[in-house]
Amino acid sequence: MVNFVCKIGAKAGEGVMVTGRMMCKIFSRGGFYVVGYPEYPSLIRGGHNTFQVHVGDSNIYCQRDSNDLVIAFNKAAIFFHKDFISENGAIIYDEKIDLKDQEIRKDIKLYPIPLQKILEDLNAPLKMKNTILVGATLALIEYPFEKLEGVLKDEFSRKGEEIVKKNIEVAKSGYNYMSKNFDISGFRVTLKPVSDKRRMMLTGNEAIALGSLKGGLKFYSAYPMTPATSVLHYLAAKEREADIVIKHTEDEISAINYAVGAAFAGTRAMTGTSGGGFALMTETLGMAALAETPLVVFLSQRVGPSTGMPTWSEQADLKFALNASQGDFMRVVLAPGDIEESFYLSADALNIAEKYQLPVLILNDKFLAESSFAVSRFDESGMGIDRGKIAENPPKLKKMQRFKRYKVTKDGVSPRTFPGQPNGMHVATSYVHDETGFSSEGFQNRVDMVAKRNKKLKNLLKDLPGPKFYGPENADITLVAWGSQKLPALASLEVLEKEGIKANLLHFSYLFPLDQKKVKQAFKRCRKTLMLENNSTGQFAGILREYTGVKPNFMFLRFDGRPFFVGNIVDHVKKLKEKGYKGLKMAVFRETVNHEYYYPAKFGV
Amino acid sequence: MKAQDYDVKEMPQWCPGCGNFLTLSAAKNAFAELNLEPKDTVVVSGIGCGSKVPHHIYSYGYEGIHGRLLPLASAIKLANRKLTVVGMGGDGDGYGEGVQHFVHIARRNYDLTYIVHNNQIYGLTTGQMSPTTEKGQKTKTSPFGAIETPFNPLANAITNGATYVARGFSGDIDHLKDLIKGAIQHRGFALVDVFQPCVTFNKHNTYDWFRERIYKLEETDHDTSNKDAALEKCFEDVKTEYKKLPIGLLYKEDRPTYGDQLPQLKDKELVEHSLEIDMGKFYREFE
Repeated sequence: MVNFVCKIGAKAGEGVMVTGRMMCKIFSRGGFYVVGYPEYPSLIRGGHNTFQVHVGDSNIYCQRDSNDLVIAFNKAAIFFHKDFISENGAIIYDEKIDLKDQEIRKDIKLYPIPLQKILEDLNAPLKMKNTILVGATLALIEYPFEKLEGVLKDEFSRKGEEIVKKNIEVAKSGYNYMSKNFDISGFRVTLKPVSDKRRMMLTGNEAIALGSLKGGLKFYSAYPMTPATSVLHYLAAKEREADIVIKHTEDEISAINYAVGAAFAGTRAMTGTSGGGFALMTETLGMAALAETPLVVFLSQRVGPSTGMPTWSEQADLKFALNASQGDFMRVVLAPGDIEESFYLSADALNIAEKYQLPVLILNDKFLAESSFAVSRFDESGMGIDRGKIAENPPKLKKMQRFKRYKVTKDGVSPRTFPGQPNGMHVATSYVHDETGFSSEGFQNRVDMVAKRNKKLKNLLKDLPGPKFYGPENADITLVAWGSQKLPALASLEVLEKEGIKANLLHFSYLFPLDQKKVKQAFKRCRKTLMLENNSTGQFAGILREYTGVKPNFMFLRFDGRPFFVGNIVDHVKKLKEKGYKGLKMAVFRETVNHEYYYPAKFGV
Repeated sequence: MKAQDYDVKEMPQWCPGCGNFLTLSAAKNAFAELNLEPKDTVVVSGIGCGSKVPHHIYSYGYEGIHGRLLPLASAIKLANRKLTVVGMGGDGDGYGEGVQHFVHIARRNYDLTYIVHNNQIYGLTTGQMSPTTEKGQKTKTSPFGAIETPFNPLANAITNGATYVARGFSGDIDHLKDLIKGAIQHRGFALVDVFQPCVTFNKHNTYDWFRERIYKLEETDHDTSNKDAALEKCFEDVKTEYKKLPIGLLYKEDRPTYGDQLPQLKDKELVEHSLEIDMGKFYREFE
């Protein structure tokens, strides 16, 4: 089994993200599975940025705890990552970095590269130093240079032939410097491309953007907010190619109202934000529910409350999503667990919103939103657009008569008409209304209308899939996760198996509404259950208990801004096993080092 | 079409003598003269007394939440520019809670008509000061007289890029009708701010009070293409200590609308575009 993990570290603004994503593409084009995992503080310049590139010849699911190689642009990168290098690992670094005061384990190999000299010799700008380091890295693991050349061509062709040539020249000199000046046979990892199969390298947000396009999205309105913004960026760039309209609005209140307006007019619309922006959207969310205007809201979670830690990951907006806005109303909450689910669920969200005429929320988090993964093209068979009930030719209306847009029906869903359609005139309103949309405070009408909307639940529960099992049947312990934590959980199963622990995973991506029967049946198939959540209160465990009565045996929570890492989960399960799966009902993960990327100067680096 | 063609069975439940009745009549008359088909017309509102209008005009309508009618209306228009979209709300709704939308949506110059029932008071919440309440006026939330300088909707609209800026008086239905007609015919963001007495909660700005002070710009040599002159007119009320209040069209300019500048809408409205899409070209880029 081939496996290679390397971590790039530099100051914000030095091109860590670009370098990381370029390396991901280089390996993905060699037929590998690749995971790109960025970590960075909420700063544009300075601070410490990192990007981990994880490569394997089978599915590797997520980021890893330790690295085979650290690529250091500066001293901070060595300081932060040197203790997370696997045995006989290595550091490639700018030779100008003074290592004297850094205690580096003896087994770690050091490869200093004279970045400045190489650039000067080639008369290349300083910002190309990352290209040298990528070249040097590929030489170290004996990966063919052509893969890098191809990616450079694709990345820079827009900027002209000269720039492409210069980049290749610089990369080549990095590659050659490594092969000529060091004994690379001393490094234990070599990578040879396994196939020519090309996978897509996608972040969770890009998959959400693609899924929504496939799902017929025509209108996206949003206000920039990390980590949701990249959906807005991607769709804005594709606006003309995809015949869609994107609006960067003055605030999130406007963004959600634009989406509602576009949906009312008859297009498919979505808005996207993170917690703070969603807080502003809540009043309109209730309006869309009451007026039964289909709406999809993409909510990308980060550490809260308030501004919190904007560039770090958390799963703590679930109860907020479920309870946002005043009054009782039905909504659907989805949380994709990986790239494929991000794609399929986004398309599905647009169908569900129109089919049931209610708000649908798609929750991801910074981890899945911004990490990138190599995936095959999506299988689109069986996907389709379901616009639900539309009154194509409503019967002729008498003078002054309005269309019964909110007609009481058996399944609670009433046929829609769109402005411009003859005989469909009605008012959508944020007031309680009668079947025509006219405001009404009649007591019976109020109950009839609530009952009408609530009737949608029956079919909805039939439509929405229940939780899914991964891994062996009859496991001693079942990990339970929702959304993005599927990935570290799946990766942990493989390690646990090697450790002789039979574990499987029960994963939820359709979070709400919950079908009590399906959930209970799933829990009946588990011996012991361990709930994994990226929040401090076990929000989903609480929701499971409230709506289905099930209660996981153990909880393990991490809320320091990072997703679970494989090591955290494996260690905890081993601990549970040692105790005979008794006690330790609730545990919180605490990092042993207090690294802080926001202000590295704190550590003198 | 006749104004009655926009009637609905339900009579508006406003106070007897409320200016809303007159503004609504002026709007229906304007719709009739322009032969607007009810099926192709969308009246969008927020929350407030004036915002009840979508229920009382026979057309499509959306009565949204307080202050948010403009984003709703903008998107409806962007999605289908074949529709006539008319926003109607009050001064609290548009100049208070939703003022950020007013400022930015004026800049974008969507082809929208925005009629503000400006009664300089909060009616539906029973008589608090509004953004346009005159300095010194006593209301429930300014019991000792309002301290704030009133919001100037006309000047704000002009400086933020609205391309049709007018003020009407609900006591002069015909004049108001013509302003609304002009606003709907205008291609771009059109504001018609309407002096509209609230007979229950604003005992200061009454019909008589307005009649003594208003004069029509059309009867002067005001040049509606002159932005500086228009801005000057916006401040005449304060300058003359409310002795002279100009009504009529203050400013008009032709500028491409937001939708006109989107090539993806050149041949087809957004609602007419197919929802099916070939994903191949989007995938390729990531490989």
